[in-house]
Amino acid sequence: MNEVLQKPETVDGELVDSAGREIVLPDSSAVSREVQHTNNALYLRYLLLPFIFLTVALLGGLRIAGEDGAFVFFRPALVCLIFAAILLVLFARAGVLQTDGWFSESSPPLKNVANGFVVATLFAAATQVFNSLLPEQGLPFWIVAFCFFWTLWNNLFADFDARKLFRSLGGLFGLAFVAKYLVLANLTAPAGRTWFEALTENPGQEAITRLLDLPRYSGATGYIQFFAVALFLLGLYLFPATTNIQDRAGNLNGPLTRS
Amino acid sequence: MYSKDAGIIAMKEKYIQILGIAMTLVYGVFVIFLYAAEPRSLEEIPSKAIETVQNAATKGTVITGTYEIDQPRFNEGLAAFRQNNFILARDAFAKADPERRDAKTQYYIAYSFYRQGWGRLTNDDALFKQALESLERVNFIDKNFRSDDADLQLRTPAELKNELEEGLRVTADDFNPLKVLRERK
Repeated sequence: MNEVLQKPETVDGELVDSAGREIVLPDSSAVSREVQHTNNALYLRYLLLPFIFLTVALLGGLRIAGEDGAFVFFRPALVCLIFAAILLVLFARAGVLQTDGWFSESSPPLKNVANGFVVATLFAAATQVFNSLLPEQGLPFWIVAFCFFWTLWNNLFADFDARKLFRSLGGLFGLAFVAKYLVLANLTAPAGRTWFEALTENPGQEAITRLLDLPRYSGATGYIQFFAVALFLLGLYLFPATTNIQDRAGNLNGPLTRS
Repeated sequence: MYSKDAGIIAMKEKYIQILGIAMTLVYGVFVIFLYAAEPRSLEEIPSKAIETVQNAATKGTVITGTYEIDQPRFNEGLAAFRQNNFILARDAFAKADPERRDAKTQYYIAYSFYRQGWGRLTNDDALFKQALESLERVNFIDKNFRSDDADLQLRTPAELKNELEEGLRVTADDFNPLKVLRERK
């Protein structure tokens, strides 16, 4: 009995509380699984997610010049910031991002700050995804921007859950990607041709390029942007709705498991 | 055992949060640097980084009030100015005062535009206009600026401005044949 008292983790009898109710201790493997689970959630939330979102922020504005293959870092237009802000509001409405689960007076300040950084990286990534999907200039920019705005604005007033929001976003991003990197990219005349070559080889393409003010980027740009958008969607899938320990089950399963 | 594990998790959570903040800051600064410096290739990134650090250091000296012009570069520019090599002079002056906060250097830049643009028959209007822009900076930095260089006949921004505006204006006097006898100041 003395030995048992000296090693409280060694239990060889029934434990009862002061009211006489039985206390059931979980077995040690379940506890270690729980610890592992919590650690994984922390690594995901504070290391993997910011890395994913910042990589999206890095790649979202990267274009490869058609003529010499040089990097072109295209800064986001103001409208991209507005769309990203609306998107974050949509996330909050759909429960993908529960504000009280990420920022709380009862949480330690360090946790609130760390969570703030994660949400900031999400905002940066969302901005750059819009920067990636919107045509750079001219009439196509305004048309696609209007379509984005129309869709996001309608979504603001729709009844949403996480699954529906993800479907809607997947469709929106997919369509915009096809419009920009397949349709418009194929209408763009290649760079580095002389006036004479442009007029004799493919005058229609040259005319559309000049009419719509399409920038001449290399085909590699489309591949990079596909990777950036896919990475953003992966980050969203992994993004926990809340960081509270009580809602851990919801945290680890990702937004798609929530109803 | 439960409380011991909870303690380990809390400790670890703190470290992971700090690590996450540090990583986000470093990576975030790198992304901002790329978009600000706009390197055109991977090879250009180190040189752009050095340039950015130097610019940041200069801005730091401005903020702390310890900004000074690069005196050897200024002397280099002055030597070129005296030899009428105005393009080289302006380049050296610009490098000596990258933040364009020194009235004396900016006055020499304005004066170099004037001397380069001055002509016995006609003046170069584009250079005269650039001189006026530089003069505006001098006035902005020091309203009471007066040059101590004996080589300059126009010692104050007001005198130089008047000379430039006269040069830009088309008057009947411009057709006076005796005008070819005038001297550059």
